[in-house]
Amino acid sequence: MGTRALRRIASRVGQSLVTVFVVCTLVFAMIRLIPGDPVLQILGNEASPESIKALRSQLHLDGSLLQQYGSYLSDLLHGNLGASLIQRGRPVSEIISSSVTSTLTIALFGLILGVLVGMIAGVWGAVTRRKAVNVGVQAFSILAYATPTFLFALLLVLVVALMWGLLPAGGWPGGFVQSLPYAILPAIALGVNLAPKFLRPVRQEAIDVQDTLFMEAAISRGLPRRKLNLSHVLPNSLLPLVTLVGISLGGLLTNAVIVEAVFGIPGLGSELSKAVAQRDYPVIQGITLLMSVTVIVGNLLAETMYQFVDPRARVQ
Amino acid sequence: MTITRKPIRLSFLRTLFGERVSRTVGAVLILLVVLGCIFVPIFSSHDPSDLVAPPMQAPSWAHPFGTDVVGRDVFVRTFAGGRIDLFAALIVVGFNATFGTLLGTAAGSSTRRAFDSVVMRIIDAILAVPMVVLLLAVVMVVGSTNAWGPLPAGLPGAMIAMMLIGWAFYARLSRGQALVYRESDFVVASRIAGLSQWRIVTKHIFPGVGRLSLSNAIGDLVASVVLLASLPFLGAGVQPPAPEWGSIMYEGRGFLQQAWWITMCPGIILALTGLGLSFLADSFLDSREAGK
Repeated sequence: MGTRALRRIASRVGQSLVTVFVVCTLVFAMIRLIPGDPVLQILGNEASPESIKALRSQLHLDGSLLQQYGSYLSDLLHGNLGASLIQRGRPVSEIISSSVTSTLTIALFGLILGVLVGMIAGVWGAVTRRKAVNVGVQAFSILAYATPTFLFALLLVLVVALMWGLLPAGGWPGGFVQSLPYAILPAIALGVNLAPKFLRPVRQEAIDVQDTLFMEAAISRGLPRRKLNLSHVLPNSLLPLVTLVGISLGGLLTNAVIVEAVFGIPGLGSELSKAVAQRDYPVIQGITLLMSVTVIVGNLLAETMYQFVDPRARVQ
Repeated sequence: MTITRKPIRLSFLRTLFGERVSRTVGAVLILLVVLGCIFVPIFSSHDPSDLVAPPMQAPSWAHPFGTDVVGRDVFVRTFAGGRIDLFAALIVVGFNATFGTLLGTAAGSSTRRAFDSVVMRIIDAILAVPMVVLLLAVVMVVGSTNAWGPLPAGLPGAMIAMMLIGWAFYARLSRGQALVYRESDFVVASRIAGLSQWRIVTKHIFPGVGRLSLSNAIGDLVASVVLLASLPFLGAGVQPPAPEWGSIMYEGRGFLQQAWWITMCPGIILALTGLGLSFLADSFLDSREAGK
């Protein structure tokens, strides 16, 4: 790891911090761009002047725009996300921590499934000589790409849960072990949507690797086909996965929110859409910031990892 | 709308039967859906919002997709909804592709580097934030219940949100492609030959960039229809009672066991549209620009 790579990582960290700052500013601007007075919209026109004043200061809507921005940022730096307007002053951080587990569980299992399916099907479709496998992989890829996540999730509920009765159709009992059966169908819905995004680049990479000189050398040394695929094609085809996982985090979170709605899982998504419907601004702000920061950090990690995984990236 | 690298051809129809079959099947699927969307609402004897039969009746000859929870005809609603989805996707993708490609080409082939880097910073900021967050933010600012003229409530907000974000993907893709062409032999040759910058950009760089954007735009139509139909599940998007694929399915999702047809019939039409567009997009890819 040379100083050059370290410098590149440092500059990426800097860029990410700038992006986080831009996101915070966007969220700040968002609530102030809403047409009309948000305080009056929340409280209604007959609200008493005291409650209007109290809410105005709670939302940092009093004082000059610069003062508002300053107190908003200092609250954020202190980790204070404010309190919900609808749920009787419940702190936003508490709302997030009580709902994040279910979202995280289904997103994580979905990601693992998507990576596994994309990896295996991508390499298999590229190295196989059987046309049926190749066509099957392509058919899966294009079908999974054209079917929206919520449609596939609804199909899973209908067939696996309602018709066959194998797994619960929705809900979340809480507690990690008890909740696992409830996480299977949502994770499959997320994973199947994610798989083609990994499958296509991996397949492409696996096809390209086969034209390289080191493959030719390995073939002429007489290595068996299976060994060749496992020790030469597979590791080299996995490189795009590192960055792809980072890039796809945003889409994964979006789909997790949708899948939660289909399965009736109380998570970040249901809190977010509830907050949007009720104009609960502090909750929207908090969840928005959390999701954005997750995606930005994920991207940063992916790019940093790439420097370690692929020696060529350090030289270029 | 997630275009992060060059599209890769992956149509199994092409592998099995060649390019013409893939293109024909795609075109026929799209044509059937579009014709249905145009003619079913015109020729049916009732309106999409009419109560025509008892609620939750299974598909029959009179109502091929059955009736929904209040007794409206799902067949008519599906094709009336397709009008909204396809119209919105066409407008959104048309704007995004045109604006993004023009800006991206200008940035990539510009001789002023400052212009290029300002455009790139804006694109980076837009692409760094998760889509759902930006969409919900814009929908909240524009208002999720506003109806503008013939557009049903919720549609204007969703369309504006998709247009504010989506152009950035095209701009980044076009800029990269323009940079490649800028250094290519034929552009360097025309520069030596003394052609003006304007002529080089319009005659030599833009045609190639535009073709790549076009093939992306067709694939992007799928993504836009899917996104618009997903919005009701996020608490935004087209509001009931207007028929839109997503809102019809969202309304029916609680009655899967009693009436699967309310969600599955519009879903099948949506999936067929997506498949048809994917086949078409695939066949429009130039083999020099696409992967294998």
